[in-house]
Amino acid sequence: MHRSRPHIAVRDLRIGWGSRVLMENVTFDIERGTTFVILGGSGCGKSTLLRHLIGLERPQSGVIEIDGLGPPHSYEGVPRFGVLFQSGALFGSLTLAENLALPLTTWTSVRGRPVQELTQAKLDLVGLGPYAGFLPGEISGGMKKRAGIARAMMLEPDLLFLDEPSAGLDPITAYELDQLIITLSRDLGITIVIVTHELPSIFLVAESCIVLDKAAKGIVARGDPRILRDQSTIPFVRCFFTRSSAALTASHGV
Amino acid sequence: MVVVQADREGNSARLMLAGQFDLDHAVTTARELASIEASLDGCRVVELDLTGVDDIDGAGAVQLARLLDRVEARGPRTHVLDEDNPKAARLIALYRQRLTDTPVVTARRSTILGSLGSSAAQLLRSLTSALDFIGHNALAAGQALTSRRSVDWRSLPQLLQQIGADGLAVTSGANLLVGVIIGVLGVSQLGRFGATVYVPELVVVAHFRELGPLVTAIVVAGRSGAGLASEIATMKVSEEIDALRAMGFDPVRWLVVPRCIALVVALPVLTWIGDLLALLGGIVATTSLTDMSARAYVMATADAITPASLLEGLIKTPFLALAIGLIACGQGLATAGGAAAVGARTTTAVVLSILGVIVISSLFTLFYAFMGL
Repeated sequence: MHRSRPHIAVRDLRIGWGSRVLMENVTFDIERGTTFVILGGSGCGKSTLLRHLIGLERPQSGVIEIDGLGPPHSYEGVPRFGVLFQSGALFGSLTLAENLALPLTTWTSVRGRPVQELTQAKLDLVGLGPYAGFLPGEISGGMKKRAGIARAMMLEPDLLFLDEPSAGLDPITAYELDQLIITLSRDLGITIVIVTHELPSIFLVAESCIVLDKAAKGIVARGDPRILRDQSTIPFVRCFFTRSSAALTASHGV
Repeated sequence: MVVVQADREGNSARLMLAGQFDLDHAVTTARELASIEASLDGCRVVELDLTGVDDIDGAGAVQLARLLDRVEARGPRTHVLDEDNPKAARLIALYRQRLTDTPVVTARRSTILGSLGSSAAQLLRSLTSALDFIGHNALAAGQALTSRRSVDWRSLPQLLQQIGADGLAVTSGANLLVGVIIGVLGVSQLGRFGATVYVPELVVVAHFRELGPLVTAIVVAGRSGAGLASEIATMKVSEEIDALRAMGFDPVRWLVVPRCIALVVALPVLTWIGDLLALLGGIVATTSLTDMSARAYVMATADAITPASLLEGLIKTPFLALAIGLIACGQGLATAGGAAAVGARTTTAVVLSILGVIVISSLFTLFYAFMGL
């Protein structure tokens, strides 16, 4: 295992469609075992960048390497990372236990009691143990997201991508989800990449971040979000972290 | 490689673990743990020695955590020796600590007999809600005339295009082939009595009055019924219907009325065009198989066509169209759940639409027979 190499390396990424460029010159590293957050306002391309990182889209140019391997869209076979989509993306016709067992029975030779033990343990881990027999349509949005995280962890990946994990959740459920993310990172040593703009979550879980700006078509700041909040001189970044338009207004001399 | 050895000393046992306790070795681990578990009978203390564990992930930790749970459930105390492998110990502790502490809630899953009883009980409710939906539509149609802005009239041309123009090729093809089939059957059966001269009349009577409206409606039910049901069902599960309600729109007036109007307008037109193509099919079949000329066939057809034969068929098409529209839209609006529910409601809509079309067509046939038409 190459401990010194970043878990994810992104170099000179250019994302767009035809002549329309969404972002360019995007370069950053994500260290192994850390919680990394991709920030930015609505429509700046956070989720699009995530789709490129997980290989669902191909960049116009640039390099994405996970564990020093080739581009994610070229990976075949056993998935190398887990992904939580915004809505949880659970299969509606399967119970939570069946949803979780699916990657296990598809990609491993584990059968029988170990499958039941592993699925139940992951559901317990996200606090959904009692709901193993429920269909996704029978549980709440927050529970679906937690079940989505549990399913993403079934193949014991060392990398998790979470798209807006706490969006639309009440503060208590969002806090519980944040605590779960901290546990996953600290106790299981999983590298976690989160797309979000929920400030309380960012300050609680993020060890480092990048801030994307639609106007700048790329990264405008990077580092520890708490330091960026307190020390950044970039008006957009200050405005983003303080939820105040005063910084932007001042910078435009209005 | 996974090795689990039990070092037993009196009432206590030490489980010496070695190797890789990860997902790749989960099957071996399960086998090793199962074989060692039996040897722990009679112990009062079981220690788990993690010194030899080279690698461990969540899967291995879960298996070891559950082993300790099972051992403790039988009485012995357990102890994890974590000095040399704190990561493994922490993982095992995590999965032991995050155990379901509330009883497992089982979603109610019914048996076959239970489903049967539930379906029977549901039948009455379904009939009531169907009547309620029809009544709501009748009311909505009236309200649509007085409050014209409550209906999405702008979608009407698009719906006419989708249901009528886009479906023309399929309904025309089906009717043409049905005309050919009636012609071929007429020639083969009536020809035995030297009565092929009556084939044009057979095509007119059979197709104009019965098969034309029926075949066209079945094709439209399969094509447009499925489309309407899945469209509205998707709107329902993505909360678009709730958004309409929240904005003060009646979904029935906004969505169902224009769709039913489009069907009521399009189906008679499609049926009429289908009738013409069925005549063409009859001509092709008859002139190919007999020595009857196309001119003689057309003359005989012209004699057979009466306003009554044309009207008896076309008059039922608005009713068939309404049945398709109400069933498809009703099923769409009744959708609850996710993607699977959309598929299930679409299937039900198509099946019920086709069934409804056949039932209504049969009722008209009985009515005509009763009236001596």
